[in-house]
Amino acid sequence: MTAQMKLGVFLWATGHHIAAWRHPKSHVTAGIDIDHYIQLARTAEAAKFDMIFCEDAAGLREANIGIGSQTSRSIGFEPISLLSALAVQTSRIGLVSTASTSYNEPYGLARTFLSLDHLSGGRAGWNLVTSASPIEAANFGATGLKPHADRYERAREFAEVVTSLWHGKASGHAGQSFSVRDPLDLPRSPQGAPVMVQAGASDVGRDLAARTADVVFTAAQTFEEAKAFHDDLKARMAAYGREPDDIKIMPGVSPVVAETEAEAREKHEELQELIPDDVGVALLSSYLSISDLWRYPIDGPLPELPESEGMKSRQALVVEQSRRDGLSIRQLARHFAGARGHWRIVGTAAQVADELQARFEGGAADGFNVMPSYFPGELDAFATLVVPELQRRGLFRRDYEGLTLREHLGLKRPA
Amino acid sequence: MDNGATMHLAVSLLPGTSDLTGEPEFPRLVRFVQQAEAAALDMVLLADSAPASDSGTVNNPMPFEATTLLAALATVTSRIGLVAAASTVTHQPYNLARRFASLDIISHGRAGWNATMARSPREATNFSRPEGFSDTDFRRRSEEYIGIVQGLWQGWDADALLFDKSGGRFHDPEKMHLLDHKGEFFFVRGPLNVARSPQDTPVLVLSGLSEPDLDIAARTADVILLESGSVESAKVRYDDLKRRATAAGRDPDAVKVLTNISLAPDDSSATLADRLETQFRAKSCDGFSIHLSQLSVFDDFFKRVAPELRRRGLFRETYRGTTLRSHLGLAGGGEQ
Repeated sequence: MTAQMKLGVFLWATGHHIAAWRHPKSHVTAGIDIDHYIQLARTAEAAKFDMIFCEDAAGLREANIGIGSQTSRSIGFEPISLLSALAVQTSRIGLVSTASTSYNEPYGLARTFLSLDHLSGGRAGWNLVTSASPIEAANFGATGLKPHADRYERAREFAEVVTSLWHGKASGHAGQSFSVRDPLDLPRSPQGAPVMVQAGASDVGRDLAARTADVVFTAAQTFEEAKAFHDDLKARMAAYGREPDDIKIMPGVSPVVAETEAEAREKHEELQELIPDDVGVALLSSYLSISDLWRYPIDGPLPELPESEGMKSRQALVVEQSRRDGLSIRQLARHFAGARGHWRIVGTAAQVADELQARFEGGAADGFNVMPSYFPGELDAFATLVVPELQRRGLFRRDYEGLTLREHLGLKRPA
Repeated sequence: MDNGATMHLAVSLLPGTSDLTGEPEFPRLVRFVQQAEAAALDMVLLADSAPASDSGTVNNPMPFEATTLLAALATVTSRIGLVAAASTVTHQPYNLARRFASLDIISHGRAGWNATMARSPREATNFSRPEGFSDTDFRRRSEEYIGIVQGLWQGWDADALLFDKSGGRFHDPEKMHLLDHKGEFFFVRGPLNVARSPQDTPVLVLSGLSEPDLDIAARTADVILLESGSVESAKVRYDDLKRRATAAGRDPDAVKVLTNISLAPDDSSATLADRLETQFRAKSCDGFSIHLSQLSVFDDFFKRVAPELRRRGLFRETYRGTTLRSHLGLAGGGEQ
């Protein structure tokens, strides 16, 4: 059998498009409706997705309260409680939650994810992030955001402690940031250890991923970017004694799919029209880690930017695209509001499958993290149109190979 | 509010509560909680444990952490309250407040947080605080912590969400409030990024109290768990707590005091019902939290003791409301 791509579905509020909640067919009360999430998880499971994935933020997404109130992202479920509920309402699909190393302790996080792993029969995964948001920092003390390098040093030690706890090693860790005396008081994971996921794309982030990750999420607009990232990350793995196949690289993709291309374009335009300018610009500002973008003419070019302590890699990606395509602030804002810097495909099932196939077979991706524009409609569309097309081409499973997330992903069971 | 005519009943699931049947743990727990729900009990208390022995051996056969277990159980029950223990040492207050706010929405207003005022030095050693806390620091820190959590739970007004698609107004920014807490141990700006609870706020259950904790409990707790003693001493403590609640400007009925009862397998159901009736009629408590060593012991409690208490008019026939607050007769619970 030829290799098949891995697919995750990235659940987020009412959808990945910033104006998703305003779409007539989006489920606007998603953030307070557990039954909606159970339905999404079951849809994804019926389509044989490897996993569902939840982001996480320990605080509001948007500093400007007026802007925030025009988006659906200020409220939602906390992901570990959400996935624990979904664990017993599904039977096969993997359950991956983001959690930050910045405002947690490794013993508690390792224990919580292991509990989710037991509740789900070995389907849990942890997406390790460091928190880059000053809004989050303000909920955890008076010292503000720590520098990028410090956050990653803490993350490296954090990952080391969590991994050793999951592998049942007697702990006794006393390091720079953490001290842990005992092993976990829970039995070993049904899949050996929960799956480790990462999404940092900076140099130090890539090294951490090459050392510790099973799955890497990434944002890449073009084939060349995706391929360069893929090859670079896999090349770093040898230094840590790992095989290239030990990591599955899954770039984000935000498809808008319909029976005809015209219909798909119309759907996409309909969403774009719903974005208020100030919301789009605010969102773009947050990706660029600057606060005064609104001062510049909206139909003019992006100004020169200082180096940021926030999301370095995402900032570079936005700047490069603005220069490459000669986009104004308004155009960039609209572009990024749709998929937040992730790759977007608008078209028919065959067109979407062609694009995914090209990246998968060209060695630029091992799979994709699918980011539906709005829920439930765009997940349904992907599941009913694109998944069968990928299955026909032999590019995606028709049924689960095993029971655990590691088995779905074809990853080795840790010793 | 209820008139105090009937008692409140909780059952506690402790680590080590195991029947060595070899059956997978989760389905057994589901069956147990569904039995408790069929018996119309107020709530199930889910204990949580840190490593329970210095030898470092795993002796907790329940392979779950309490808040994750609560979320899972919420989806297979519809009425019973679910209260998870979570330590103020192992969670940052913002994260804990957010977890429980989310659990309360998942369970449609049936979640509670059991915070213990007792220190666990062993816990601190696994959470990068090998030096632990002094008693007074721990007490001040706990009080500050509880205030933050309860404050965060009230950050969104109940009517803050507008869902106005055409007007582009998802929520009313005037109805979202910062906490801006700057205290001795914590700085927390807030607000939570979770909506207001369907039962106003999750229920706060306090346990492990020593004498200096009583004022904190009377000021903040919805439910206080006290260890069993003589009826006379229990009555003195009960009256004292209600007085303290009144002194703190609260309705004394807004604090429910439950006595912990450890159930032995050889207790006869009639004897146990007599014992509970005596303590309850003496107004030494508002009800009981029943502890057990084996799930099987509970079969008898659900099948014989609860019906006997009903026959005597001491316990509800059925749930009258849908939230934990409504079972407990606490304000904010919607229908009572």
